Amino acid sequence: MKQDTITPSKEDLQLQEQLDSNDILDILEKHKQDRGGLIAILEEIQGEYGYLPEKALRIVSEKTGRSLVDVYGVATFYRSFSLKPRGKHHVCACLGTACHVRGAPRIVEELQQQLGIKPDQTTADKEFTLETVNCLGACALGPVVVIDGRYFSKVRKSRISQLLDEARNGFDTVEIGRDKRFFPIDVSCPHCNRSFKDEAFVIDGQPSLKVTVSLDHKKGWLRLSSLYGSYNISSQFEIPLGSVVSFICPHCRVELPSTSNCSMCGAPMVPMLVDGGGIVQICSRRGCKNHMLDLV
Amino acid sequence: MLRLSSLNQLEELRNVLSDAADENVPRIVIPAGTCGQAGDANDLIRVAKREILAKSLTRKVRLRVTGCHGFCQMEPSVLVEPRRVFYPRVGLKEMERIVQAAAKDQVLADILFVDLETGRPVEKQDDIPFFSKQVRRLLSWNEKVDPIRIYDYIEAGGYSALAKVFAAGEPSRVVEEVKRSGLRGRGGGGFPTGLKWELLARQSGKAGKFLVCNADEGDPGAYMDRSVLEGNPHSIIEGMIIGAYGTGATEGITYVRKEYPLAIRHLGVALQQARELGLLGEDILGTGFLFDIRLVKGAGAFVCGEETALIRSVEGKMGEPRQRPPFPIQKGINGRPTAINNVETWANIPLIFRLGAEEFAKVGTKNNSGTKIFSLVGKIKNTGLVEVPMGITIKEIVYDIGGGPVGKARIKAVQTGGPSGGCIPADMFDLPVDYDSLTQAGSIMGSGGMIVMDNNTCMVDVARYFMNFLKDESCGKCFTCRKGTQRMYEILDDISKGEGKLEHIELLKELAEVVKDTTMCGLGQTASNPVLSTLRYFPDEYTRHVVDKKCEAFVCRELAGAPCQTACPVGTEVWRYVALIEKGRYEEAYQVIRDANPFPSVCARVCDRKCETRCNHAVSGGEAIAVRALKRFVTDRVDPSVYKPARAPQYNRDGHRIAIIGSGPAGLSAAHCLSLLGYKPTLIESENQPGGMLVSCIPAYRLPRDVLSKEIESLLDENITLRCGTTLGPDVTIDELFKDSFRAVFLAIGADKSWRLDIEGEDTKGVYPSMHFLKAFNLRGEELAKGHVGIVGGGNSAVDAARVAMRQKAVRSVTLLYRRTYQEMPAYAEEVEAALEEGIKLETLVSPVKIRYIEAARAEGVRVETFVSPIKIDSRHGRLADIRCIRNKLGDIDSSGRRRPVPIPGTEFTIPLDTLIVAIGERPDSDCLASMGLEVGKSGVLHVDAETLCTNRPGVFAGGDLVTGPNTVVDAVAMGKKAASVIDRYINGKELREPPRLKLPEIFVEPAALGGEEYQEAARSEPATLPAKSRKKNFAEVEMTLSVEQATREARRCLRCDLEFTQPKQNGKSDCPALEEKSA
Repeated sequence: MKQDTITPSKEDLQLQEQLDSNDILDILEKHKQDRGGLIAILEEIQGEYGYLPEKALRIVSEKTGRSLVDVYGVATFYRSFSLKPRGKHHVCACLGTACHVRGAPRIVEELQQQLGIKPDQTTADKEFTLETVNCLGACALGPVVVIDGRYFSKVRKSRISQLLDEARNGFDTVEIGRDKRFFPIDVSCPHCNRSFKDEAFVIDGQPSLKVTVSLDHKKGWLRLSSLYGSYNISSQFEIPLGSVVSFICPHCRVELPSTSNCSMCGAPMVPMLVDGGGIVQICSRRGCKNHMLDLV
Repeated sequence: MLRLSSLNQLEELRNVLSDAADENVPRIVIPAGTCGQAGDANDLIRVAKREILAKSLTRKVRLRVTGCHGFCQMEPSVLVEPRRVFYPRVGLKEMERIVQAAAKDQVLADILFVDLETGRPVEKQDDIPFFSKQVRRLLSWNEKVDPIRIYDYIEAGGYSALAKVFAAGEPSRVVEEVKRSGLRGRGGGGFPTGLKWELLARQSGKAGKFLVCNADEGDPGAYMDRSVLEGNPHSIIEGMIIGAYGTGATEGITYVRKEYPLAIRHLGVALQQARELGLLGEDILGTGFLFDIRLVKGAGAFVCGEETALIRSVEGKMGEPRQRPPFPIQKGINGRPTAINNVETWANIPLIFRLGAEEFAKVGTKNNSGTKIFSLVGKIKNTGLVEVPMGITIKEIVYDIGGGPVGKARIKAVQTGGPSGGCIPADMFDLPVDYDSLTQAGSIMGSGGMIVMDNNTCMVDVARYFMNFLKDESCGKCFTCRKGTQRMYEILDDISKGEGKLEHIELLKELAEVVKDTTMCGLGQTASNPVLSTLRYFPDEYTRHVVDKKCEAFVCRELAGAPCQTACPVGTEVWRYVALIEKGRYEEAYQVIRDANPFPSVCARVCDRKCETRCNHAVSGGEAIAVRALKRFVTDRVDPSVYKPARAPQYNRDGHRIAIIGSGPAGLSAAHCLSLLGYKPTLIESENQPGGMLVSCIPAYRLPRDVLSKEIESLLDENITLRCGTTLGPDVTIDELFKDSFRAVFLAIGADKSWRLDIEGEDTKGVYPSMHFLKAFNLRGEELAKGHVGIVGGGNSAVDAARVAMRQKAVRSVTLLYRRTYQEMPAYAEEVEAALEEGIKLETLVSPVKIRYIEAARAEGVRVETFVSPIKIDSRHGRLADIRCIRNKLGDIDSSGRRRPVPIPGTEFTIPLDTLIVAIGERPDSDCLASMGLEVGKSGVLHVDAETLCTNRPGVFAGGDLVTGPNTVVDAVAMGKKAASVIDRYINGKELREPPRLKLPEIFVEPAALGGEEYQEAARSEPATLPAKSRKKNFAEVEMTLSVEQATREARRCLRCDLEFTQPKQNGKSDCPALEEKSA
């Protein structure tokens, strides 16, 4: 299987010192119920740190009662775990058969050359980690490269450097206002049907949408961008990332009633009526970007 | 969300939902599976929403976002219900238009799918051949439901199978029904699902039993499970609840590979929604039945698709397989009975209960009931997921649904079953696709990956690829698998580098058998299949690699070198002169070209450019570097005198005389090279000027005569004697030449005899063989074409004849008659294009019709292939009047990999003609050679040893079209060069056969410093052409030369494949990953 060894650098050691064992304990607590959850535990730790720090593995071993050898065995058996810190951006080239016959090896060579690293390595500046995968199941589109979760199809050698540049700058930086895929919507309260539009306060060059939010008995305004697809907001008091707030109509002061929970984080989804016919639901957790726009 | 607490409530909900939905309101369906999203389907969804809101169309048009519909090639696509209009490859602008059109119930004819075969747009999805030949029992659901909305599934009839099962109330009947359906496991093994369930049902359930959905779809090239999970996750959930009810299972697990994030997300949402609605968990639908499903993510290990390894992985251990028995059905997860079925198997369960087992089994064959989804990928026109009845032939899948090869490539095999499977060669495509037939053929069904391979796929590389995969994925438990796959990989790697030996092939076979026989799990037992099946069906490719050091697919790096150079018959260092053009060093560029090719200006105009076909730009989906245009740029610009050929004056002072028959490109090249070696060649030419086919055949608008004669003249030096007007046979014989002190004879008489139609009336006045027609004009200026001209054929000489006829004074119209379609025409596409521009008509799918004596033969029961050549030519007053033709349609695939033209009865029609030119092919005029003791084969070609060009007579060599049949100029030049070196070795008494030698780039030319934006895909620079109007009545050269700016830009586009071989190593470190792999 996969070759991987623990050879921590100075930096890693420092990072490991900073590692908060409480976080690991929290993760372990969550998986207390399922006995087979080691893989899920490791996955969550890796999600948190980008790799599996040695200290974390020791804690996992101690708390689950499985020997460190056992934990290490699982961590090194599966391709998706890494014992070394990974870069900010993940570049993953598919080497499935369909991609292979369409020239994927050349794409990997080009990636290696441009990044100056081999698969499963990370650039010295910790910007990029290069990986290969044996099939992403997007075989009709080969050769496929996935960068930071984004799929690129029919990739050609000549496109690589451009893609890496884009990744460096972040794929989400789009020109709000100029990009036609972002469009303003006007929403209103599902209870009193009055509009949330606030002409006086502009976000993304558009009138914002004003609602009242409450968090821990604190109440204040929250203004959302009216551009569908933009996550820019402004709020009266700071809402910490990850906290769940209640949404209240500024006109009728009724709390917007949630009918379903977020499929990504489990927080209540808040519905609002869309002018033109439809309902938009946004997740009430700060930082969760889940939303649904149903046209009715 | 409300919770359903009875079967009635489920039905009520379904009624409410379907009442609310208005079938007549147009609905835009946007597939946004992983493939769709990679094709920016998400942007389409946004634009659609924006348009609907902005134009207040919410009551006029609905929107549904779904999983993948299967036609991945056309993503992002849009389907508009209820008319089922299909729009392929939709852009943001088109999306806006589609919304507006759909709201008015209109169809946008200009952006519909176009059927390449008929050239016509197709409106309905179901009429597109890709869809119409499928039986989409499972995949059609992906169009009906938004996977993250359980109501969609219920409205479409989802969970009705479960309701049926619950209503019947007898678990044992569930197992019976599945058994009667004949469903076999879709994961690849084909184990009867009903039997598996029966075994599970019999196990004691005190400690609980598990049902598992195996969604660790690891076979590279297979992605139907992903598509079902992404597009219709509730079908899996419904199937598993039914299974649990029938077998008494208490817990369900879906094991999904981590590489499928969208499938994980959709399944997660579906599970949550099903739970909220009371379809999972306690007291399902008020029946008191308890069952829940947990989602477990894999962590990237292929072997975990194997059931015992999967169980360990679910248990949180290393995914190593274990010995069976005990089987999972007895001792599975945590020691409890466990039944594992694959995604597609589960998706079939609700279908069985909705349709009934008998109805289900009506599709497919006896032991292989139902449909199977295949992922048709690789070198095929229509890639995507196809659902077909079991027992369909591979041919139907590949050609009828898949649309055949991409471009003019030839499909040579399909690979099925992933790394455990094998390759099935094209001549076995009549094989029915079912579990048993595929196993017999040395492959397996596997989970349904079908990877199409064409002549650009190297089978050694395929075997090497799979072995690399398997050596990485072998868990390492069994020694023979761990080491065996590694050693097999190393041997294959050596072979692909040209370091293989013949005994390696034997060793490979032995290793493969050992690994097969001595390993524990499915991975090891099937690991040899890729090697064994390629060795079985493609042994020649292995020997080509080992003995000749050639990879004809240009895949194996070390053998392919720089593909442009390797592909060039004369071995021109294309990359090098392209690089020199970029630097403005034109004279050096000319020298590079001329060094390899004595006909630079000719080839700059008429070369068939194998270099461009093999250009890595073209191979990776882009446009090849315009090599020929760049060559033209150099040869137009540089005075040939800058090149001084290297002579070997000391080498051959004897000045032996060599006779060369024929002064075409092969003969002239041989004479030139022999002269440089100090020989005294004599060129014997039957016409009154040298040049052969270059002069007699190729029209002046493609190859201006002054350019040609200059080039020929430059080759005729003082060593060479030219004897024109002398024909082999009547004027001189081989024996006489030997008597006349010639030491060797090189025959290069070309192929200038047109094939006859061989029918009555062919000798009528006004009917000409194409060669006769072209020679009459090119050599003697006679204009034979008059009035309305017809040309039978679709090759280059047909198009040449047509364009020459067009330029003759008395011609009123020119029509090309070809029996297949435009796509299949063997002539160069740009030539056909130019002919059409000049007003030449093209009638395709037309065969000159059968004549009466054929009908008579038919009546006697003789089978006659009517479309091959027969023609009826009517004459009036001894001159051509008309021909009768019949229309064809394309039928079966023939041995050339093209569809056979089949005449459509009753479509005969008459074309009145004044001139008919027959251009259905040429052959060498070699009748006289047999009488001189030479072996002449079918079609008049001469038999020679391919390596040494030796005929059966000592001292007599042959090359060019005489040996190959009609071929290209550059191939003739290459054979002429080869003849010179063989004859030299012959005269010096050396071994004639040269050891195979790799031609890899050697000279380093600094690459251009490219700016960032230049990496973006610059378009290919095409040379300008004279406008059709001003060229069609004269012989001015049509193609013009590139400007300096165009040429430089074009040269900068070069990928410089040579650098891999020539770039100086920076720090002396080995850059070869393969070396490291070995030492690891």
